Amino acid sequence: MVNKQYQIIAKNYDLAGRASSAVKQLLKELGISRQEIKRICSASYEAEINVVIHSFGGYVDIYLENNVVQLNFFDDGPGIKNIELAMTDGYSTATQEDHRNGFGAGLGLSNIKRCSDEMILTSSCEGTTLKLTFYLRGETCTTSKKS
Amino acid sequence: MTLNALIKDFGLKQLTKQDITQKKINYGFCCDLMSDALMIMHQTSDEIIDQTILITGLVTMQSIRTAEMLDIDVVVIVRGKIPSIKVIELAERLKITILQTPLTMFSLSGQLYKKGIKGISYDQQW
Repeated sequence: MVNKQYQIIAKNYDLAGRASSAVKQLLKELGISRQEIKRICSASYEAEINVVIHSFGGYVDIYLENNVVQLNFFDDGPGIKNIELAMTDGYSTATQEDHRNGFGAGLGLSNIKRCSDEMILTSSCEGTTLKLTFYLRGETCTTSKKS
Repeated sequence: MTLNALIKDFGLKQLTKQDITQKKINYGFCCDLMSDALMIMHQTSDEIIDQTILITGLVTMQSIRTAEMLDIDVVVIVRGKIPSIKVIELAERLKITILQTPLTMFSLSGQLYKKGIKGISYDQQW
C-alpha cells in the first residue's frame, strides 16, 4: 500500500501541476505503464488546475493498493454552486487570467470523468471533494515502495 | 522525418539544450487550450506519442506541464513568442525540448502536413 499527499496552492500558476508531476513520478517508480500514467495524470492535472483556479487551496491524497489507484482532491471552498451545470461541457466560470494560462475551456470535469473509472464529486461552501478511482488495466502494480 | 530535419527544413529555433535531434517525428497536435490536448491524447498510444510534437501559442508553464502529463517531449511555440527563463528551466528539468518558429499555428501546421506529418485521430466527440 502506498499513500501520499501533495499540497496545491490557490492562484499560483507557476506551481500548478507540481502535485500531478509528483503523482506521475510516484506512478513511474511503482512501474505503472505509460498508458495508464497518461490517463491518471491527465485527470490529476485537470483536477489540480481546478483547485488552483477555483478554490482557496487544498491538497491531493494518492492511495494505491491491489492495482487500484485512488486520487482524492480536497479544497477549502468556496465550493461549486451547481455541480450539474459545472459538469456540462463548455460551461466555465474561469477568468481571463485562467484562459491566458491555457485553461478555462469548461472541459475539465468532463475530461476527468472520461479518464477515470469512478468519480464522486461533492461540494459545499466549506469545500469540494473529488474522489477518483482508476482500476489499472492489464497491470500488476508493485506497491512495495515505502509510503 | 527526424527532429533534426524538421528543425532545418522549417528554420525552428531550439530554446532548450537537450539533444534529441535524431528522434522521429510523424505526428503533430495543435492547441492553446490544454484541456483539448489532455482530452484527446491521454488515450493515444505510447508509440504515437513518442513521435508527436505539441504545437501551441501558449508560452506559460502549463504548456510544459501538459506535455509532461502526456509524455510528449517536443513543444513547438508559434508566432515567435518567447517563453520565460522559468519555463525553459522547467522544460530542461523535465527533458522536454522547446522549439520556436515565427510562423503562425496555421502556417506551420499546413507546411508540416504537406511534409507528411499527420494529425492525432481520436474517437470522442463532445
